Amino acid sequence: MIKFNRITFLIFILTVFYFALVGRLFYLQVIKGEHYREISDRNYIKIFYSNPPRGKIYDRNGVLLAYDVPTYSLIAFPYIVKKNYSMQELKENLKNYLNIELDEKTLNIIEKNLYPSVVIKKDLTQKDIENFYNYNYLFNGFYLEVVPKRVYTEEANYLAHIIGYVGYPSERELKENPNLSPNILVGKAGVEKIYDSLLRGESGQKAVLVDAFGRQKKVLWEKDPRKGNDIYLTIDIRIQKIAFEAFSSSKHPSGAVVLVDPNTYEILASLSYPTYNLQKFYEGFSQEEWKELTENKYKPLMNKVFLGKYPPGSIYKPLVSIAALEEGAITPETRISSGPEFRIGKWVYRNWDKRGCGFINVSEALETSCDTFFYQVGLKLGVENIVKYSKLFGLGEKLNPDLEVKVATIPSKEWKRKVLKQKWFHGDTVNLSIGQGYITITPFDATKIVVPIANGGYVLKPHILKAYFDNKSQRLVHTNPEMIRKINIKKWNLDAVRYGMYLVVYGPSGTAKALKRVPVLNAGKTGTAQVYSYDTRKKRHHAWDFRDHAWFIDYAPYNKPKIAGVVFIEHGESGGKVAAPLMAYILKRIFKEKIIETE
Amino acid sequence: MFNLFKKIKQADPIVYLLTAFLLIWSVINIYSASYHEYSNLYIKQIVFVSIAFFIITFLPFLIEYRKFGYISFYLYLISIILLILVKFFGVSILGAKRWINLGFFQLQPSEVAKFSMIIFSAYFISNTKLPLSFKDFLKIMGLSAIPFMLIYSQPDLGSAILVVLPVLVMVFLAKFNIKYIIGFVLTGIILSPFIWTHLKDYQKNRIIAFLNPESDPKGTAYHIIQSKIAIGSGMLTGKGYLQGSQSKYYFLPEQHTDFIYATIGEEWGFVVSFLILTVYFILSLRIFYIGMKINELFGKFLCYGIASIIGFQAFINIAMNVGMAPVVGVPLPFLSYGGTALIMFSLMIMMVLNIEYINKKEGFRFHSQDALNY
Repeated sequence: MIKFNRITFLIFILTVFYFALVGRLFYLQVIKGEHYREISDRNYIKIFYSNPPRGKIYDRNGVLLAYDVPTYSLIAFPYIVKKNYSMQELKENLKNYLNIELDEKTLNIIEKNLYPSVVIKKDLTQKDIENFYNYNYLFNGFYLEVVPKRVYTEEANYLAHIIGYVGYPSERELKENPNLSPNILVGKAGVEKIYDSLLRGESGQKAVLVDAFGRQKKVLWEKDPRKGNDIYLTIDIRIQKIAFEAFSSSKHPSGAVVLVDPNTYEILASLSYPTYNLQKFYEGFSQEEWKELTENKYKPLMNKVFLGKYPPGSIYKPLVSIAALEEGAITPETRISSGPEFRIGKWVYRNWDKRGCGFINVSEALETSCDTFFYQVGLKLGVENIVKYSKLFGLGEKLNPDLEVKVATIPSKEWKRKVLKQKWFHGDTVNLSIGQGYITITPFDATKIVVPIANGGYVLKPHILKAYFDNKSQRLVHTNPEMIRKINIKKWNLDAVRYGMYLVVYGPSGTAKALKRVPVLNAGKTGTAQVYSYDTRKKRHHAWDFRDHAWFIDYAPYNKPKIAGVVFIEHGESGGKVAAPLMAYILKRIFKEKIIETE
Repeated sequence: MFNLFKKIKQADPIVYLLTAFLLIWSVINIYSASYHEYSNLYIKQIVFVSIAFFIITFLPFLIEYRKFGYISFYLYLISIILLILVKFFGVSILGAKRWINLGFFQLQPSEVAKFSMIIFSAYFISNTKLPLSFKDFLKIMGLSAIPFMLIYSQPDLGSAILVVLPVLVMVFLAKFNIKYIIGFVLTGIILSPFIWTHLKDYQKNRIIAFLNPESDPKGTAYHIIQSKIAIGSGMLTGKGYLQGSQSKYYFLPEQHTDFIYATIGEEWGFVVSFLILTVYFILSLRIFYIGMKINELFGKFLCYGIASIIGFQAFINIAMNVGMAPVVGVPLPFLSYGGTALIMFSLMIMMVLNIEYINKKEGFRFHSQDALNY
């Protein structure tokens, strides 16, 4: 027998609710079920995406490099298509009227209604579009969607590696970023990727209520697309083109050029040679072209500026000089007797010039690139100090993590113990002091050596984005130069090194006289980095991949630097004879064509 | 270990099996509700459901519920602190600050507050002189007003109501003078115009939309209409798993949280939506029944509180889905997506199983002279 108290009262209330809900469910699903099923069948919502144009990419002077053009894609909404046609009819209609062969995968998506919408064909021709409109009564549930396509200008090809490429978002990217729509272009590499959030914009959405034939009945909600922001790179495409032409007219198959403004560390040119056709890369190469690109031994797809690591050779000497001067191992006046060879015990370290260099100071040692001078200075300075200054200059560090991919390997005692499990010998210090041995740097790292020398010790953040046009505020937003640290270099020490680099070009025994052709005073340093020993090279008959690498770093004008940079020629054999003339060609044209003005 | 399995066999089979049924259903439905969203919500749900199974299977025989009574005030304090923290460090989703990001998991303090409020009130009531005096009534209502206000200001009206609702049920069952209760209800009615002016716009819209759905088919009422269409179009046996067009094509917003029931209704029809509604009903009744059997006041009121929150929260959510209640943002226990809520409801079931187990072991020995009268 149930006692009527408060708890039973409460249970009674709960029971009343329960039966009310059961009644309601029965009413909705069983009594009015047909009615609601009909509404739900009619009541079909479709989401149309409108993909805004991606931001344009310009060089620093507003030369257009990349932009978007609209193309049309044929989209199907499986839910509606399924209701109107059998799979057989569908296949036939598409084949007969639009000349489209439906593949199994797409057919499966439609048949099983796996996605709200599916792309049937991209990049429709004018004729396809006309046919679609003429026979549209055969295509209920099909729509044309505007899909932007990226176009790279002729100029952009000089800058292929830097620009990168775009593509549709992967499933993973769609998952990670709910704002992406399947047909929006996203950056996959290069500045297209680094500045994707600026360039991309936002797709618009329009939710439309349609009936069973796919006719639009009502717009439910709408979100306007937001256009991507245009960006301006620090690259001067004229300089980039000169760098490219320097290479293409030189017959050297592989290398890199980086030119920067040492006062701001804006990248004016960044060439990895050989390069490839950007537009074709984006639209897809034929299998043969692709094979040719991937199997080419000069690696056209790799951006050597940031990805290649090579021994620097003598272009490392200015950095070692500054370390030695600042740490008191030498003064600008210190003269050291530098003969044809230097011995530690039974080990012999030779000078590149068998005649030796004589009794010289640091400036003269840079002029002739005297190895035996730097062997002695390096030993006196110690490996710790060389490593310390390399780090101060930013070697082994990503000064701009967005741009830089690989970092330099600067060997130290700990490094050798950890990586090679070996003890550090004096011979290792000797090798390191002329930029040989275990040390490897990227061509971009070479600019980290020359920039602080040119600008008086400022380590800045390298950048490639000059500005972007912010659509929201309708203003141009500039990237300001950013200082990371200042290396304190005494003026007389810096002057001694700069003078040494001046002598490289203008001195009687300078190693890079080719640079005299440049119409402004400049200073540089050659580097010929040994990859294999002379004996091995000889055995291999001086085959290309056994030759030395050729380097040249330079800045100009000498008194008030406005440009600094590096030319790297993979297996180019001689810094002075090969890399320096290329730099001379580039700088000569830059100043002659008044791309950089001098007062 | 063997001992533990022997104990597990003694768990109340109705409570355990019904909960297990709901947990398994939750995975099936979250998968369906997030099917078209490139989403892996269901994987997270599987992780939470596994934890939930662990909680309801093993923990009831490893704990002693009375100890929670002794620390109930601290539990209450902790949940207040969490609610204050969420104000400052909370993550905003859709304009409401309800979650604290712990990196691997987003904690929802209001769910923690619901549970700790039940434990705290049950302990409070079991340690005062019954029937509840007016002074004690004011005390407990004052203490529950703090979490209410904090949650209400998130803003989350639904959860705020659900923090207070079980307390009101417990107060009612503690034989608080019926005259006061009537007075309390009347005051509420008189104050309602005043409360109306203090509601947020979206809350007013929801109430208006509920009273007259056709008034604004694009805005708030849109949810109610679409939800009704989804459920109704399921008819007797549903459109089939993963085949719901209403839910799959973005008609239904929040289909994996507040409107998960509509997904079930659409894909499985009357048969399963009726079954699930009935499961909640029986589960709630069974917990009330366990509470009635028990003659120790703390355990008894805990059962009442838990039974009422599971029953009423499920019914309010379902009523919302079928268009019988305004959209107040109340998730469906166990089935809606949300880790904190799932864990908290599992802990409640753990508590019930533990209360039943311990009291059965003790042979329903008397703790309070007239406990059976409550």
